[in-house]
Amino acid sequence: MADEAADLSAPDAQLLARLIPPTPTVWDRYNPLTKATLAAATTIAALGLGGYLTQGLLFAALVLPGAIAGRVVWRVVRTAALVTLPLAVAVGLVSVFTRPGLTILFRVGPFDATLEGLDFAARVVVHLFVMAAALILFGATTSPRAFVVDLERRGVSPRLAFAIGAVLDTVPAIVERAREVLEAQRARGLDTEGGLLRRATSILPLAGPVVVGALHHVEARSLALEARGFGRPGPRHLLWAPADTATERAIRWLLLVAVVALVVAAATGAISHAP
Amino acid sequence: MISRIWLRVLVGGAALAGTVFIGLSGSSFDTTPAAGGVPAGANQFMLVLALALIVGFLFYEAVEWLQTRRLDSITHQFTTRTIVLMPFAIALNIVLGQTVASALKLPIYLDSIGTILVGVLAGPLAGAATGLLSNLAWTFMLASTPFGSPYAWPFAITATEIGLLAGLFGYLGAFRPRPRTLPAMLVAGVVAGAVLLGALLWYGILPAYRDLGCGPGNAAASPDGVCTPIAFLHTSDPLFIALAIVLLAIVIMAAVVLLVRLARDRDLGVVYVLVAGAVCGVVSAFISTPIAALVFGGVTGSGTDFLVAAFQQAGSSLEDAVRQQSLISDPIDKTITYLIVFTLLASTSRRLTARFPQGERALGTVED
Repeated sequence: MADEAADLSAPDAQLLARLIPPTPTVWDRYNPLTKATLAAATTIAALGLGGYLTQGLLFAALVLPGAIAGRVVWRVVRTAALVTLPLAVAVGLVSVFTRPGLTILFRVGPFDATLEGLDFAARVVVHLFVMAAALILFGATTSPRAFVVDLERRGVSPRLAFAIGAVLDTVPAIVERAREVLEAQRARGLDTEGGLLRRATSILPLAGPVVVGALHHVEARSLALEARGFGRPGPRHLLWAPADTATERAIRWLLLVAVVALVVAAATGAISHAP
Repeated sequence: MISRIWLRVLVGGAALAGTVFIGLSGSSFDTTPAAGGVPAGANQFMLVLALALIVGFLFYEAVEWLQTRRLDSITHQFTTRTIVLMPFAIALNIVLGQTVASALKLPIYLDSIGTILVGVLAGPLAGAATGLLSNLAWTFMLASTPFGSPYAWPFAITATEIGLLAGLFGYLGAFRPRPRTLPAMLVAGVVAGAVLLGALLWYGILPAYRDLGCGPGNAAASPDGVCTPIAFLHTSDPLFIALAIVLLAIVIMAAVVLLVRLARDRDLGVVYVLVAGAVCGVVSAFISTPIAALVFGGVTGSGTDFLVAAFQQAGSSLEDAVRQQSLISDPIDKTITYLIVFTLLASTSRRLTARFPQGERALGTVED
């Protein structure tokens, strides 16, 4: 596509440059699908292989190198820890005190804290952390738009690619819209603070205008898209797509084969699943 | 034309039945109730059934392709309006799901309003696609934003099923408002609905609680080994009392909304929605149980977790405790979500809804 860029006028070249996301590090420059495959393979492996050592090895071998190359080690570790924390508290409370076990560590009221429960909770937390870290590494070093463009180039329907890509703008838009509705309803006397029942009854006056407003917006937006040839059949020409290499393709296939082998091994009982 | 569709249904159904037969006869399928009261092969059966549904669908589409060289039954659900609605629905799922799970701390999720909306308005496949993409986008697209969650994608299968079922129920007219129903019809409808809900409760939900409170080392288990099903009620565990109060509040709230609609508008549609939501909830519970137990150790970081703790404390194994929790949370959650979508769509102009592929069939063209 470099030869195409050569004979573009200056404004067109500027437009094209805006489409290309910045890639500050080596890891950012890898193909989005390769990074997504790596993240998915790591999460499945973390799920299928038990044991603290294995999880540590998975983290060191499949997450850490990417995080170092992408210069996001601190961000990945911190975000993964933050995301895992509520689940860690929950799984701790659920498992440590209520899981039957023989070794009792201490007692709080009627509840016994067992060593078996603690071990189980720690295993769950460790594999959740590895899962989260792998996915956050992907998110931190990949432009979501580049990922969608890459999927479209590989044959995902352009209409579906549009739907996926539009989520990025729609989530903040819906949040903004929900805030407006909330303020408008408060100005009209809706009580959104206070007890559980009061909060629960305020769901409908808040969700209602957001949903109906969205339906009206869909109407306007689909007319605008139709007017610009969105419904036209046939292939689309992409102005830009992320680069891909034969090495990366080989790595993806290798990861896929490894994951399939792992799943087969787990299903046939060749490796034990824990927890 | 009609016979062509019947041929597709016949081939698809045969493929489905064949897959179920092969899947269940080729392996040791265990139907004896396990410790939790649910057959040991339940998870395996669900897996085989899901695969069979996919195989049946593929055969249906293959016949359609051979007959018409097109796949209209798929493509007509994905009009431009559907495609534009999908990101809104996905965003709605994510924003509401995030808020309810982290802020309200209720034992429900409310993360499928958008999926159900698309299912009803655009059809089962569009609903399924919205559910699947919702959870995948939640993890992969929004990973670097504050809205992303690396833990949403394992539940993509459940979200797919929710969209599929909502589409089917929409197709069957379960979401259509039926106000000013004749009193005799209304009474008959309420009785039929109560019977259906009772059957669902008896066959779908209660078996999971049969052995509750009979686990090893539980005070409620009687010494002679005979176990009363509601023994756990006598434990006066503070967790169970708090649990009962919260659940009661939610159920009463839903019941009040329901009675108001039934008495004031004489709207029989509420009963349809109630039954459909409960069915969807039970199916979702069975699908998400193994996922929650295997991936998350039974927790999701939301208000549902203390239910799992309570059931585990009462002597259930992890997977049984998760199933017992899901069979409470999911039917309540899906019933409330269905009622919300039903109420919203009933008050939306038909001019707007009828432009979606399934809008006219699901909701009619006359506003009430």
